[in-house]
Amino acid sequence: MQNSKVHYWFIAPALLLMFILLILPVIVAATLSMTDYSLGNSSFNWVGTDNYEKLFSRRSYAKMFSASLTYVLIVVPISVALGLGSALLISSLRIGNELYKAIFFLPVMATLLAMAIVWEFALNPIMGVVNDILRSGCDKRLIYGFFTGAWYGADPLQSWYGTACADKFPIWLGDKRYALGTIAFIGIWQGFGFNMVLYLAGLTSVPRELYQAAHMDGADSAWERFKLVTWPMLGPTHVFVITISSIRSFQVFDTVEALTEGGPSKSTYVMVYAMFEKGVRQNLLGIGSAITIVFLAFVLVLTLIQVYFVNRRVHY
Amino acid sequence: MELRASWLGEFLKHSVLIAGAIVVLLPFYLMLSYSLKSPSEIETNTGGFTGAQQIMTDSRCVKAGNAEEDCLMRPIVYNYTAAFKEAPLVRYMLNGVFVTVSIFIIQVIVALPCAYALSKLKFWGRDVVFGLVIFCLLIPVHAIALPLYIMLAKVGLTNTYAALIIPWTISVFGIFLMRQFFMTVPDDLIDAARMDGMSEFSIVWQVMLPTAVPALLAFGIFSVVAHWNDYYWPRVVVTGNKDLMTPPLGLRMFKSDMDGNEYGPMMAATTVIVLPLVIIFLMAQRRFIEGITMTGMK
Repeated sequence: MQNSKVHYWFIAPALLLMFILLILPVIVAATLSMTDYSLGNSSFNWVGTDNYEKLFSRRSYAKMFSASLTYVLIVVPISVALGLGSALLISSLRIGNELYKAIFFLPVMATLLAMAIVWEFALNPIMGVVNDILRSGCDKRLIYGFFTGAWYGADPLQSWYGTACADKFPIWLGDKRYALGTIAFIGIWQGFGFNMVLYLAGLTSVPRELYQAAHMDGADSAWERFKLVTWPMLGPTHVFVITISSIRSFQVFDTVEALTEGGPSKSTYVMVYAMFEKGVRQNLLGIGSAITIVFLAFVLVLTLIQVYFVNRRVHY
Repeated sequence: MELRASWLGEFLKHSVLIAGAIVVLLPFYLMLSYSLKSPSEIETNTGGFTGAQQIMTDSRCVKAGNAEEDCLMRPIVYNYTAAFKEAPLVRYMLNGVFVTVSIFIIQVIVALPCAYALSKLKFWGRDVVFGLVIFCLLIPVHAIALPLYIMLAKVGLTNTYAALIIPWTISVFGIFLMRQFFMTVPDDLIDAARMDGMSEFSIVWQVMLPTAVPALLAFGIFSVVAHWNDYYWPRVVVTGNKDLMTPPLGLRMFKSDMDGNEYGPMMAATTVIVLPLVIIFLMAQRRFIEGITMTGMK
């Protein structure tokens, strides 16, 4: 029955769209990254690798790379650890695991932009609840003593909490020392439930017999069983979770655009936001395209690492 | 002893998880609570969850020249009516539904026949096409937003529904997922359909489509959630035209148009936009978690 040419009709639309909407844009970006093109101009000049040289020499772009990398380096380890931790706790519960799973997954589902705006209110230095809660601990001796270290004889004013109580609590998104960390906090809040679900799936695939075998070999404590069985058997899941969360956090945009617009003093000027600002807002398509290409290269490297490890089916 | 130790362990685990759950739920709690309270209660952080619901005057209503008596209302009513009056919320929601549903339908129309051809038809170049699909999986759509924007601007399509939909019409992931699913469908089923004289075209839509419902459902959840929540692409391609805005973009406009202390209405609008997905999620939790994680590679 393979005499007809029907398959052409089946694959042609997909192939055409794939070419126009995925491959052509990469070619366009690569080409434009070597020009000084702007929308509305009838012509453009070839500038060779000028855009890339700017990207790797100017200070504002150095800040961009450092903001993106710092963000990824904060969000990935913490959200992976929280994902694994909550998955381990939830899978060992007798009751309530479905409930916790639903709660921790809720932020993954909810519109990030909307929730970012709520966090902005919560973090408002004057009327926000976050600083309200922190402030209310200052005159409670138990809490104050615990967080300032006064309990174990340290000088309260040497600690972060002690100085904040004595002076004032940070303005989070408005302070360049805290802004990126605060954006990263929202990223972790939003993303760790996703990692949790991936780890829960990974945990169900660990064969029961291995735990029994470990038990017979004398691994009695939960920690030893974790070290001997769970951790190594989760090898492929680790690779998957780490690369997925790296790629996802490289793409951070919503929170930055809505809450800080890259500031204060470019401390949250991450790559996708820079792409948007240079390319769309300022119509500097050459430099915007150069950022696009560098960004693509980053993501491609991460994906290739993932493919490499997954194909080797790593078990540490 | 063992029993007591295990109960202690269980208790500790629950304590840690509850602490985590409080942080996770905090913004949802605040969102709902702020959407109920009066401006002064929000400012001073009083009134508990619902606020006292004391009758307040709507200052904008008075400014508009109405008598004071006609402008008295409870904060909850004020917040939600203001949200719908200040911003074209209904329009945003309808746009969101239209865009996400169109995207999903077109994705299926394009992906299903292709996946069928790649899994059940033998033709020259099949492996090359499949290789291309795998290659395209590596391209994150976020990353090529700028060239896509330039291309759409060149053909004069920015600020149209088409611009919101076109870039997502091809889902290589959908093709991949459907192809993997179709590989598990027995060839006998298709042969039997051919014996009955069905054309290849009707095999795709009358035989393969019904068998693919579970996979399509998972893919649908993934696609709808992703595009309902997407902010980046609408932000790039829609500028200023409120008639085209999707819920997240509309909310962003609301935020930048807002004058100072309209947190109540703002949070009411946020609630209206966030709640539909959250409610559907809570009703079909298992399916959602499956759908979004099996498609986690995107």
